[in-house]
Amino acid sequence: MNTSALTIGQTRAGDVCVVTLSGRIDSTNANEMMEQLTRLISSGEKSILVDFGAVLYLTSAAFRALLVATDEAERSAAKFVLCSVAGHVRELFEMGGLLEVFTIHNSRDEALKQLG
Amino acid sequence: MTRPLDLIYAVDETPPRAILVISAVQHVAIMAITLIFPIIIAREAKLTGTAFLDLVSLSMLGLGVATVAFCVRSQFVGSGYLCPAAYTAIYLGPSLFALRQGGLSLVFGMTIVAGFVQVAVAPLLQRLRALLPSEIAGIVIAIVGLALAGLGIRYSLGITEQQHINPDYVLVAGVSLLTMIVLNIWSKSYGKMFCVLIGMLVGYAASAAIGIFDVSDILPNDGLSLFRVPRLAHVGFSFDMVLFAPFAVAALAATLRVMGDVSNAQRLNDVDWVRPKFSSLAGAVSANGIAVIFCGLVGSCGVNSYSSSIGLSGATGVTSRSVGYVIGIAFAVLAFLPPAAVVLAAMPLPVMGAALFFTAAFVLTSGLQMITARMLDARKNVVIGFSFAMAVAADIYQDALTAVPIALQPIFGNSLVLGTVSAVLLNLIMRIGVRQRVSMKLEPGEINREAVEQFLTEHGARWAARRDVMRRAIFGVVQVLEVVGNPPGGIEIEASFDEFNLDVRIRYAGAPVQIPDRKPTPREIVASEDGERLLAGYLLRQSAHRIQARGTAGAAELLLHYDH
Repeated sequence: MNTSALTIGQTRAGDVCVVTLSGRIDSTNANEMMEQLTRLISSGEKSILVDFGAVLYLTSAAFRALLVATDEAERSAAKFVLCSVAGHVRELFEMGGLLEVFTIHNSRDEALKQLG
Repeated sequence: MTRPLDLIYAVDETPPRAILVISAVQHVAIMAITLIFPIIIAREAKLTGTAFLDLVSLSMLGLGVATVAFCVRSQFVGSGYLCPAAYTAIYLGPSLFALRQGGLSLVFGMTIVAGFVQVAVAPLLQRLRALLPSEIAGIVIAIVGLALAGLGIRYSLGITEQQHINPDYVLVAGVSLLTMIVLNIWSKSYGKMFCVLIGMLVGYAASAAIGIFDVSDILPNDGLSLFRVPRLAHVGFSFDMVLFAPFAVAALAATLRVMGDVSNAQRLNDVDWVRPKFSSLAGAVSANGIAVIFCGLVGSCGVNSYSSSIGLSGATGVTSRSVGYVIGIAFAVLAFLPPAAVVLAAMPLPVMGAALFFTAAFVLTSGLQMITARMLDARKNVVIGFSFAMAVAADIYQDALTAVPIALQPIFGNSLVLGTVSAVLLNLIMRIGVRQRVSMKLEPGEINREAVEQFLTEHGARWAARRDVMRRAIFGVVQVLEVVGNPPGGIEIEASFDEFNLDVRIRYAGAPVQIPDRKPTPREIVASEDGERLLAGYLLRQSAHRIQARGTAGAAELLLHYDH
């Protein structure tokens, strides 16, 4: 079994739809992530939280997918936030100058409190 | 830079005035012990009365100026961190040698030369880092520890030229040393923090009780005033090329110690610290050089950064740079108060001996810790073992080694100089063939990113490469594979590693990867796949320490360089 391939989990916390990503996100699976996120937005979800706590790394394809999902959320007046962006993954957001582009919370609890 | 949670005052924060002053007093107390070194020079030079007092006062002024120079944050001078100064055994050996050869004027002249050596070395640090790894800094510090211990024993036992032991000295040193040990090991808080100072005060009291604390030699004939501007009557300058080698080596040794101390100060202020910031190290070495020149000009000996003070700031959680400025002011004021100089200048030899012997233990062990901080392979074992043995041999076979030609005597006649020279030369020789190289080929249609990840991870572990550096390299290669796609002829990946560099070369048939200078906007990234490629190039530029993309006749090569 490949332990570093992307897995996408989905749970609910009240009105918030929590998407948990784990593994690495690159061009082989970025579209899968983008499709799942845009499907949630089009289905009428108004608060989506993406948890990056178990992500190993992400490439430019993943960043593009996240930016597309952010645009989609804006158009649908949905809240789209990220949490647990830490360590090497945070470093990559920082390198790309993308920390300010997304709404990012330190932890899932903090994000849920804000969204609630 | 991420602030550690247990830090009370970080480098850029200013504590309330009371905490600022008390913190500074603590540092002043432990730094003052190192005035032992200029006092030793003054005693060996047989200075008495006002001249003796002037040398001590001007040495205090030197400590103040040096501390401010170390702490200041500017483009070329200063570390920007709380990095107090201290007189050091590093310059003691060459200074005593110079004193015997040409008196105090030669000590001061050659001290100035050593300062200029440090100023000259500072801008070259980044390029020289392969020649000055941390284990060599550790060897230098460990040898300094050994030298301090030897001197401490000599003063504690009152050993004369006839090899006689003075029982009074043994008694005073014993009481003083015992106090320091008991307070350091079995007490907490202030007792532990001020164990050396309290032990020295006990030593002063014991010396006074048995009649070996005598200030009459130091007190000026016209009495002791509360305030006095120190004079430069004892100061003169002369130079001797034969002494250039030991002073240059001492400057190099002092440079290694500054690098270790400032790296430690940086680490105290940053949870994410992985490698030293060389601009800060270069500023600190420049500051050290300027401070040494100042000390030579005002008639004192060479200063260095103070590992004990860095340790104190870590233990107390007060690493504010402002504390350094207050320390500087405090020493500048003390320099004009002769009673302070008298108390320190009249320090009995066994009290000095006890303090030296006690602190030597901590200097020696911190040197050993620096030596063993990185994984030791056969090459490092040779460098460390041989140079350490050479340093010890210089002391054991001192008489035999004086038979070397006069130009080499300063090197062979001093354990620190011989040990450092041996370490630097052996390290240079042992770097031959140190670079390791591996490569893998990804055939067309079989561009397996996981295999690449595994390949780099396995070799990184074998090379004992830092994980954070390997993570960046893996990201870089995966990002390149993503941009390059599946070129005809496949992709060749070559990684080469030595202790300081990781280079990854990726070769393929196709156009070179685009590496933009500017960050693409979110709009550009979303608009098309070209935008995504621009982001890929930008991420590669940001994640590698150096990147080079080139292509000729349809063949492209991308070099990703990472500092290690």
